[in-house]
Amino acid sequence: MAAVEKRRQAVASAASRAAVAAADSEEDFLRQVGVTEMLRAALLKVLEARPEEPIAFLAHYFENVGLRSPANGGAGEPPGQLLLQQQRLGRALWHLRLAHHSQRTAFNNNVSVAYECLSASGRKKQPGLDGRTYSELLKRICRDGEAPEEVVAPLLRKIQCRDHEAVPLDVFRAGMLTCFVLLEFVARAGALFQLLEEPALAAADRRVAQAALDSLEGALQAGDGANVPAHYLEAGSRLGPDGLALAMQRAAAGRRPCVPMMRDEFLGKAAALFIAKVKPVG
Amino acid sequence: MLSPERLALSDYEYLAQRHVLTYMEDAVCQLLENREDISQYGIARFFTEYFNSVCQGTHILFREFSFIQATPHNRASFLRAFWRCFRTVGKNGDLLTMKEYHCLLQLLCPDFPLELTQKAARIVLMDDAMDCLMSFSDFLFAFQIQFYYSEFLDSVAAIYQDLLSGKNPNTVIVPTSSSGQHRHRPALGETSMLEGVEASLFYQCLENLCDRHKYSCPPPALVKEVLSNVQRLTFYGFLVALSKHHGINQALGALPDKGDLMHDPAMDEELERLVVRSRLHRTLRQHRAEKPGAFGFQRRDKSEALETLSSALGPTPYPYRWEPRE
Repeated sequence: MAAVEKRRQAVASAASRAAVAAADSEEDFLRQVGVTEMLRAALLKVLEARPEEPIAFLAHYFENVGLRSPANGGAGEPPGQLLLQQQRLGRALWHLRLAHHSQRTAFNNNVSVAYECLSASGRKKQPGLDGRTYSELLKRICRDGEAPEEVVAPLLRKIQCRDHEAVPLDVFRAGMLTCFVLLEFVARAGALFQLLEEPALAAADRRVAQAALDSLEGALQAGDGANVPAHYLEAGSRLGPDGLALAMQRAAAGRRPCVPMMRDEFLGKAAALFIAKVKPVG
Repeated sequence: MLSPERLALSDYEYLAQRHVLTYMEDAVCQLLENREDISQYGIARFFTEYFNSVCQGTHILFREFSFIQATPHNRASFLRAFWRCFRTVGKNGDLLTMKEYHCLLQLLCPDFPLELTQKAARIVLMDDAMDCLMSFSDFLFAFQIQFYYSEFLDSVAAIYQDLLSGKNPNTVIVPTSSSGQHRHRPALGETSMLEGVEASLFYQCLENLCDRHKYSCPPPALVKEVLSNVQRLTFYGFLVALSKHHGINQALGALPDKGDLMHDPAMDEELERLVVRSRLHRTLRQHRAEKPGAFGFQRRDKSEALETLSSALGPTPYPYRWEPRE
């Protein structure tokens, strides 16, 4: 009786052991081929960036991981110096774009990772980032940001470093942040212009557009001086729908005919207001 | 650009709200089932394709029912796939029975439960004549409500029963009208005036339900709109109103408006191209060899048509029966 019982127990435990072993082997398998590690890294990135569409974010993330893996030509003969440089730039850009700049912690982390990517260059040279790479990265960001070239060019002149200069991390971080903020600023200004624009003419009334720019300038001036939160509030109220509408209405009331303002001019002027606030490097 | 609530959530809340872990787990299960593939293509590529297919909504094709109903996105993707695959049924004006629609559903999801199809058919047919014929669009919109808001509707049904039997789930006050009166009601006759429940009371209960319901529910403002047009209504009257409300359809976001249901220029163009090509093909062949029966060629064209069509629909081939009409 007891023997039967014991045997039954043995059978049962053998079965459960087999199940456990199967689960174990699956876990082992996942660990061995690197799935566990890859998913953990991906999940951490998702949590850091908190994207609006996490699934699309993951698809994009894994696509990049795939491109970097040695299975895709990375392990072949060593690529040329130029290609290597392009790859590094691409990787740095990818890291920089993972989180929006308003999520400052995540963005700062990504900036550091991008900095490491770029500075781990040739074996012979000292580690560090030179001005040439930094400038090229800035150019790439602006080009991909779809802002007109002549609009962002003044910023690049201001925050660029000389080709042979070494770029420290804080300069790099400030440069990246300024660049991304400017791009968003230009995008917003573009949206504003679209509202002002007359679709038939593809241009806006100069007085109204100028009034919008003036209130923008006024708001930015208000931010000068000591870094007091009250300034932010004042700037916000000047740019609030009421303030802006009032200024534009006043402008539209003046009945002088004039040349309409085109999109590029508007964006250029708006960006100039922003860029005037940027401190030059050095 | 940024919705700040997302950033205020805790990590787990954020992941749960977006069902990130559901898809990650499923991705791993799929990976374990397809171990051979990953040695060939690499893990990253596998995950890229998996998450891309989730984005495109093709990930639910031929999957088990438990997965298809696991997230709102999966449900919407399934509705969309069903519409896109069987749109031609509606275009040809065919009327099908509940069982036939169920077969179509099972072509996309082999273990799709009959119960759900029945419930959807009941919304269209209203009574127990379940073997009646239904148009594609009627069935589709009823099915959409039943499938997408399944859990919500179950709760609504319970509330409705409570109200009908005189219980008000929201308050402790027992209404003075005796509940017995309602119970006899199915005996017909003078009851047509008093059929169903009072709309405003019903709405109060539903509003309460929407607040605490953890599954998807239709936007409360739209539910209110549906209920504000009438004094009293029955449960199925409510479901019909929901299924016909195009605001709710838009909020759900899986299907186009009823008017555009048959409108899919890209697909029409593709079909048109196929028809022209197969005709051309046939005449050429007939020119070349007058004698052999055209039947053989037709079959060939048909399988070719199926191939092109499936590639037009999405990355996974659709093995459903395809019978081109002449």
